[in-house]
Amino acid sequence: MDTNTHINYEEQKVGYYKVLVGLLLLTTLTFVQPHMFFESYTFVTQLMIGALKAWMILMYYMHLKGEKLIGWTVAFSLVLVVFFFLVVIADVNSFQFKDVSHITSQPHIDVDYHHASHEE
Amino acid sequence: MSHEYVPEIAVDRDGKKHEVQGWQGDFYGGKLGFWLFMLTEVMMFGAMFLVLTYYYSLHTQDFLDASAHLNRLLGGTNTVVLLFSALTMGLGLLKMRTGDVKGAKTMIWATIILATLFLGIKGVEWTEEYTHGVFLGLDALQSGNEHSRPFGQILFYGMYFTMTGLHGFHIIIGIGLMIWLVKRIDAGKVSPHHHILHFNIALYWDLVHLIWVFVFPYFYMIGAGDVTGGAIHGH
Repeated sequence: MDTNTHINYEEQKVGYYKVLVGLLLLTTLTFVQPHMFFESYTFVTQLMIGALKAWMILMYYMHLKGEKLIGWTVAFSLVLVVFFFLVVIADVNSFQFKDVSHITSQPHIDVDYHHASHEE
Repeated sequence: MSHEYVPEIAVDRDGKKHEVQGWQGDFYGGKLGFWLFMLTEVMMFGAMFLVLTYYYSLHTQDFLDASAHLNRLLGGTNTVVLLFSALTMGLGLLKMRTGDVKGAKTMIWATIILATLFLGIKGVEWTEEYTHGVFLGLDALQSGNEHSRPFGQILFYGMYFTMTGLHGFHIIIGIGLMIWLVKRIDAGKVSPHHHILHFNIALYWDLVHLIWVFVFPYFYMIGAGDVTGGAIHGH
């Protein structure tokens, strides 16, 4: 986005309204999806719709379209976020400490206090 | 004491003198700097979403049950309110760039009103949850008593109140920034030829909207298919 003021307000305004209509349609989709399609994959589908909305906001409302340096900076940081998500998902899939974890539903923590006090 | 502007002069390798421009004149630098700040916000909320996803994977059914009991009508209304506020903020910036300062101020005030409406709706929602005994510190979200919710639900609501609360805090900051922006416009410090502050505050508001785009489905919609309705249930 440049700093000049020689832009056509009416022309640009139409663009903003088009994006608004697109976002409203996607928001409607967000509401009907759990009852209409991909019911078994609601979590993933909702996030996909959210990602599409985010892309529209980034490109058009936040003026990333045509921005090379800032665009790549944002893209790189998003890749890092996705990378960390994938690492955690992989880790969760092979979670080894369910029996002793404080964030699982039924922790079974057996602390040998007697043994611990002897060591002191 | 005089406050006369004294330009700072830099000399290049060929001996030519140049006036150093202040940051006020560096539109791109101001924009890039603000984007870097926003990426730190993305890291903060990104970490929270990561924790949320992790807990979801461990307590999927509890998360779906808790999500099904949130008020989707109020949450959805807030989604639409934020959507329109992003439009008014964008149109305000557009008006500023085309020289319509009065129109820009009107749009900023419209955004402030919508932001306040968002907070009001969020307040109603939290009050409703508190009335039903689901709030931070209440028995339902404490383990080891007769009113305790299942462990996964305690985690869900803990994250829900933390993240929507932090998001609400960003809304409050946004309102403050917009009021400050109006004052800067009135003082002539922000104008069609010098609008980086307006541009960056509009970016900030879009970021607040962007975060909600993920907060809403994460909390309100993942359990939407399990039950009909949306009002929170009592114990």
